[in-house]
Amino acid sequence: MSWETVIGLEIHVQLDTNSKIFSGASTSYGSEQNTNTSLVDLGYPGVLPVLNKDAVMMAIKFGLAINAEISRRSIFARKNYFYPDLPKGYQISQLELPIVQGGSLEIQLNDGTKKEVGITRAHLEEDAGKSIHDKFSNQTAIDLNRAGTPLLEIVSEPDIRSAEEASSYMQKIHQLVRYLKISDGNMQEGSFRCDANVSVRPFGQTEFGTRTEVKNINSFRFVENAINHEVERQIDRLENGDHIIQETRLYDPDKDETRPMRSKEEANDYRYFPDPDLLPLEIDQETIDKIAQSLPELFDEKVTRYIEALSIKQSDAEEIARNMQIAEYFEATLDHFSNDAQMVSNWILSEVIGVLNRENIEINTFQIKPKRLASLLSRVDDNTISSKIAKNLFNQMLTSADSADELIKQQGLEQITDEDSINKIVVEVLNEFSDQKDQYLEGKEQILGFLVGQVMQRTQGKANPRLVNELIIRQIKK
Amino acid sequence: MKRHTVRELQDMIADQSVSSDEVYQLYLNRIKAMNDSINAFISIESDETSSGTEENDSEIKGVPYALKDIFCSEGDKTTCGSKMLSNFVSPYDATVVKNLRKKGTIILGKTNMDEFAMGSSNETSFYGNVLNPWDTERTPGGSSGGSAAAVAAGMAPIALGTDTGGSIRQPAALTGITGLKPTYGRCSRYGMIAFASSLDQAGILSISAEDAAIFLEHMAGYDHKDSTSSMEEVPKYTEFLNDNLSGKVVGLPKEFFDGSLDSKYQGLVSDSIHEYEKMGIKFKDISLPNIKYSVPTYYVVAPAECSSNLARYDGVRFGHRSSDDSDLDAFYKKTRKEGFGQEVKRRIITGTYVLSAGYYDAYYLKAQKVRQLINQDFLNAFKEVDVIMGPTTQQSAFKLGEKVDDPVSMYMNDIYTISSNLSGVPAISHPIGFVDDLPFGMQVIAPHFMEHDLLNIVHKYQMVTDWHLQIPGICRELDR
Amino acid sequence: MSIKKSEIEHLCNLSKLNLDEEEQSIFLSQMQSILEMIKELEGVDTGEIAPMAHPLQMSQRLREDEITEFNERDKYQKNTDFAEDGFYKVPKVID
Repeated sequence: MSWETVIGLEIHVQLDTNSKIFSGASTSYGSEQNTNTSLVDLGYPGVLPVLNKDAVMMAIKFGLAINAEISRRSIFARKNYFYPDLPKGYQISQLELPIVQGGSLEIQLNDGTKKEVGITRAHLEEDAGKSIHDKFSNQTAIDLNRAGTPLLEIVSEPDIRSAEEASSYMQKIHQLVRYLKISDGNMQEGSFRCDANVSVRPFGQTEFGTRTEVKNINSFRFVENAINHEVERQIDRLENGDHIIQETRLYDPDKDETRPMRSKEEANDYRYFPDPDLLPLEIDQETIDKIAQSLPELFDEKVTRYIEALSIKQSDAEEIARNMQIAEYFEATLDHFSNDAQMVSNWILSEVIGVLNRENIEINTFQIKPKRLASLLSRVDDNTISSKIAKNLFNQMLTSADSADELIKQQGLEQITDEDSINKIVVEVLNEFSDQKDQYLEGKEQILGFLVGQVMQRTQGKANPRLVNELIIRQIKK
Repeated sequence: MKRHTVRELQDMIADQSVSSDEVYQLYLNRIKAMNDSINAFISIESDETSSGTEENDSEIKGVPYALKDIFCSEGDKTTCGSKMLSNFVSPYDATVVKNLRKKGTIILGKTNMDEFAMGSSNETSFYGNVLNPWDTERTPGGSSGGSAAAVAAGMAPIALGTDTGGSIRQPAALTGITGLKPTYGRCSRYGMIAFASSLDQAGILSISAEDAAIFLEHMAGYDHKDSTSSMEEVPKYTEFLNDNLSGKVVGLPKEFFDGSLDSKYQGLVSDSIHEYEKMGIKFKDISLPNIKYSVPTYYVVAPAECSSNLARYDGVRFGHRSSDDSDLDAFYKKTRKEGFGQEVKRRIITGTYVLSAGYYDAYYLKAQKVRQLINQDFLNAFKEVDVIMGPTTQQSAFKLGEKVDDPVSMYMNDIYTISSNLSGVPAISHPIGFVDDLPFGMQVIAPHFMEHDLLNIVHKYQMVTDWHLQIPGICRELDR
Repeated sequence: MSIKKSEIEHLCNLSKLNLDEEEQSIFLSQMQSILEMIKELEGVDTGEIAPMAHPLQMSQRLREDEITEFNERDKYQKNTDFAEDGFYKVPKVID
């Protein structure tokens, strides 16, 4: 029996607003328990919700970026159920008329093939608070700081056919929301949460099999593991003649397995109805157009531009564009030095990212700002210093605030390009190492490196290596 | 005993013939003397945390009022007539309360009410029944029974109430006072404990339309904290009070005059129509064909919204909390069983039912469509007439206990009033006479945001009649 | 269209209400009459009309994304005797 996997992903993205979706309390992460809760967030008697403008704008941005339709009129609905982290006893969400409808995203698989994944809808809703089970011995502690934080729930079509595709889609959405600056996508802090709806069916069957919902997926790796495990489990059952129970399962990364969630509602009837405290959200074309114009260049466009306009290698272009902030750093550097984009790209991908990884910092806190890097690289480009010396200076610039020029001057590092002075040294070296000279003449060309090295040593590395190379050959051939 | 109007108190305080302290004491003494027999107040005196931002030149500075215990007032116990909130001290002021505080008014106390505003007789309150000052074996109506009784008995010159299906107008009619439900969205709902969000509206119970006009000017207005609050400008209602009524066309819906009203009440209605005709008003027969569906529509929409609004009462952050903490489910159920009364439970269950899977389309969605039909009936009628008139209730005050076991019969009390809540139009009830020594009221309904018309019409009527000035026997001897 | 006792139980579960046997019987008959009354709506011809969710023809106002509420935890937690270390507490929930 040949099985086909059918997957739909539901991703909850916390929007990066200052205040909550329906109240003016702060959304800042890590505050002491229940200090970011207004009366509205606490569901006190008599309070009412008022909608955060930026949350709406962010949702529209997302919708436009995935070529979806922005609903000119959308409705907020109440999803009614009881849980201690849900103060009002209902969650304000959207059901029938969500703010974003349709859309799609192109994903790229490991083998390079591309696939389009449809997106059914994206809607706004409020996040719930947090339950902490191990704080008190026989009670659960409730922290409502998170209650009311705006969420964008993004629902894909069941177009995904493998764990790899799922991971790729999840990463693409992750990249997109960071690109659009609507979310920091921090999975550890819960700003980006993924649930997977998984089912299998015999190849060729058009009906969907029974699906299970897998929750608690908070990394790209886990999504693949969780899905693979769940698919295996389902196929196992079906092949044994058992049926699949429609249920919600929790992914346990330590045991690499999914298990049914115990507390999940026995067929909870959410009794959705339009929230009478909120009016229909109406968005005019002007607003949509304005936001469309303010959309940043997205990944695919950027990569294409890097390749075509800047002549960067494709793999480098993709690697740089992958992270919005790195791309911004790259482009900012190019603003000050544009002669050789590939060189800038090389330096960023090896030297800069090397430091980021080593020191475990983000590019935003990286000590060498684009302008300084640009000035360093332009000195390599104009042959004032060699690439090797530049790397040395680069390391110095991590702890020094001096510009490249200042350091070059202070340390007398200007490259020697005067042929005569170099030639003098070349002659000296060739006299001292006449054996090696003979070896070269006999055809052992790699010995040139040794000779170049000797000249470089005697010039404290300041001679232009290319020139040294040239002059040695010339001198030998004389 | 003199039942001063707000207008009179304004003048007295302004010309300094009496201080606001003296006025406050007068009413406080009356409350203390009478509350045991009427039970209009749940709590007396309020935590007067003066913010010091009162306007000096407010025209209602020093005027005391009674506040239905559904409004959150900072520092005061706010119970909503329920055991669920019997220990709840509100940390904030409702916007309408804040507005009135800024104008220097003083809260006399929080008035008794049907639990969570669900009821038409003030017999569902955790704090006991309110008695009708005209006959203490009868109900004053509800849910703003306490506010109505307080004003009728002279315990407060004016009171705030809420009207979701008639809860201001019906008790006003049964206690012989004036009761105004403004247009939905006219007054802020922020701080007004929610029952049915798309129907609830804050309003006024007073001796006269003039008093209602005075207070409405200061209460009403846009509130950024309430998404359903209207930005419509608040007119100076008092400026319209004396406008000439001649030429005004009033519609009499045939559905309100279908013969089901007992002849003794019909007689009063005819007399008042005659009185209005003398002032130049023309009456016209109209029809509101879908009005007969108001009660069933209301009893789908209101319970649905309330079942959701009352889910927050779970004992976790405030309010009554069961001591049973064996498991979460038991904890919730016990807390809510102990905290809520019968009528509230009944409505929550009804509401849960009509919203539940499989029933939503047939009930809730259907009711919201019928609601649109009812609204259209009003809009169409108002193309032909300026306002609509009819009785407020089908009978005068009924006896305590008469309807408690028959919810549907209780619900039918709201038959004339409910449609204005469904449509959101403003309406006012005013006394038009007595039957068997019990007051009876008539209602005037206007298009959205035309409160000034209502107040004008009733004011003119009150200038040539004195039904609204009649005082219940029980309080005639007060102040001696 | 009559309502069954099991339905009342289900509704109680959804709305977290406890009704004892007696209350359940009373409610059952009362609900019956309420539903009879509501049933009238079935016959109304509502055609193509849109449901009326709000009495006013307004659309939702948007609030500027500013922090306007600040920490008042201690003041608010005065309303419960069951807060500890700033947390609210409930009987243990098993996930």
